[in-house]
Amino acid sequence: MSTIFNKFALKGLNRIGNIMVPRNGQFPAFSETGCLEHVDDIVSYAPQNDLKDLNLLLSILSFMPGFVLLWLVKTMTNSHHKDGKFYDIFRMLDFGLKGIILGTYYSGKVGINFKGKSPLQVIDFSINRIEV
Amino acid sequence: MYDFVIVGSGSSGGTLARNLHEAGAKVVVLEAGKFFRKNTFPKTEMEYSSQLFWGGGIEFDSHAKTAFLRAKCVGGTTIVNQCLMDRFDDDCFNDWKNRSGADFMSVEAMLPYYERAEAKINLHTFDSKEFNKNADLFTSGCDKLGYKWKALRRGMSDCKVEEGNDCIGCLGGCFRDSKQSSLVVSIQVAEKNGLEIRSEFEVENISHFSDHVIVYGKQGSVKQEIKCAKVILAGGAFGSTHMMLKSGFKSQLPALGKGFCQHPQYMLFGVFDTPIDAHKGNFQTVSSSDPGFRKKGFKLENVYAQPISVGMLFNSYGKEHQELMEKYRYMSCIEAAVRDQPEGGEMNIDKKGKLIITKNLTDQDKQRRDIALETIRNIFSAQGVKKIINSPFYFGLHLMGGCSIGVDQTKSVVNPEFQVHGLKNIYIADTSIFPSAPGINPALSTMAFSQKLSEEIIK
Repeated sequence: MSTIFNKFALKGLNRIGNIMVPRNGQFPAFSETGCLEHVDDIVSYAPQNDLKDLNLLLSILSFMPGFVLLWLVKTMTNSHHKDGKFYDIFRMLDFGLKGIILGTYYSGKVGINFKGKSPLQVIDFSINRIEV
Repeated sequence: MYDFVIVGSGSSGGTLARNLHEAGAKVVVLEAGKFFRKNTFPKTEMEYSSQLFWGGGIEFDSHAKTAFLRAKCVGGTTIVNQCLMDRFDDDCFNDWKNRSGADFMSVEAMLPYYERAEAKINLHTFDSKEFNKNADLFTSGCDKLGYKWKALRRGMSDCKVEEGNDCIGCLGGCFRDSKQSSLVVSIQVAEKNGLEIRSEFEVENISHFSDHVIVYGKQGSVKQEIKCAKVILAGGAFGSTHMMLKSGFKSQLPALGKGFCQHPQYMLFGVFDTPIDAHKGNFQTVSSSDPGFRKKGFKLENVYAQPISVGMLFNSYGKEHQELMEKYRYMSCIEAAVRDQPEGGEMNIDKKGKLIITKNLTDQDKQRRDIALETIRNIFSAQGVKKIINSPFYFGLHLMGGCSIGVDQTKSVVNPEFQVHGLKNIYIADTSIFPSAPGINPALSTMAFSQKLSEEIIK
């Protein structure tokens, strides 16, 4: 599925993704879309050292109880209004995780078993390309 | 031995490469990014965000408060920008003349270089019939409040918007070769006449000698060493400054890395009752032209972004995030770009040679930001907005400074002939030489400075 993230890291991503974009009205939950099947499309170009660290962190997070992950997402969100080195790390993590989660969720790509409306279809987004 | 090695292929590198190659010099262009063409650019927002930018999409300052978007591909940032072509004004050049002591810093002295740079580009000034609803809201809001606005001038040739093309797609590279990027107007033109371009070549450092320069780097995983008479750094504020720092020139150039500015950009979203479809058609066509805004140190533009970027700008998660995204088609968007002070920005390298960017907004920057954002809120309110979405995030697309131009070696890095002080075989004419933030889109002026340098070299 991914040549970059191990199965624990993917599980961690799915769990955090479901907090960031849960099932809600027409929106499918992050993990339901299967968009993580395409995660390598987005992370293959990121710096290798960052990916190593993220793989480890996400693997650890996959074993954490739900309230810890919720605290993490809340702290990352609030970090943008705070100063200090502690919050610098959470801001960086927020950009990194959001980039992967929203990047795949709104990519227009879904997993092979997903049958519903993709998030891009839910928000009714399309752009036209008039080819040469 | 090459006459010139040009490091970087954006608005500066492209202009210099084409001019010097056409003049008969032996030139090679080194570009860290990949060589995409109109038929090979990544097609979706996810793909281009990760493939066309340094850092796999985004870079940050040392506190992760500012996000920087810096293209990494042949054509540089001209591939991912909107190709808006403005000349600098008296206000900018007067400031730069004072800071640099360079005599040519004036509208009159730069005029011929602007004209010759513009002669290579198809320029189009938008007509109100070409505006989308986002632009209509912006202009009528400005009219109601007595703010002056102008239609933007863009480098474009054949966008086919009238047939339904949505220009927002070309933020990931123009698949029609309509956008007048450095790739289209310089690199591909010179390439047809034999210009050598080495893509995926990352320069590590340079060694300067009395009669030549050696450029060290890697192409893929293979170490390379290139000898040339002169090297021209055209990697932009981050790229050129980084190469200079890694080459160990900081000790002899105390101003190296100082004066980083970025026009911090803030996007505000207004939710309306009916669809705005800000992403359709010509998605960026107007900006403010109010002299009062210029005095206060900001400008406004109507812009928008694709869903991933818009989602990233909302500081929310869960249902709150989705309720905002559900309104994607109902949002208008105005961006404020602040003319920031150079005193708050500096670039250095750490022990591993990694570029570290410090960018603190000064009190004046924050004051300018607050006035700009209040002005946007007023424009939205004048149009009957239902809800305004503030974003705490700001980002930098116009990366400037670090190798400032000037006559004083203690306060600048390159002299008014674009040569590095004390290193006569190294030239720089990209945005890194800017002594302060112009408050105006820098692409055309970067081309004009590079036009000037190439003409002086050819002479």
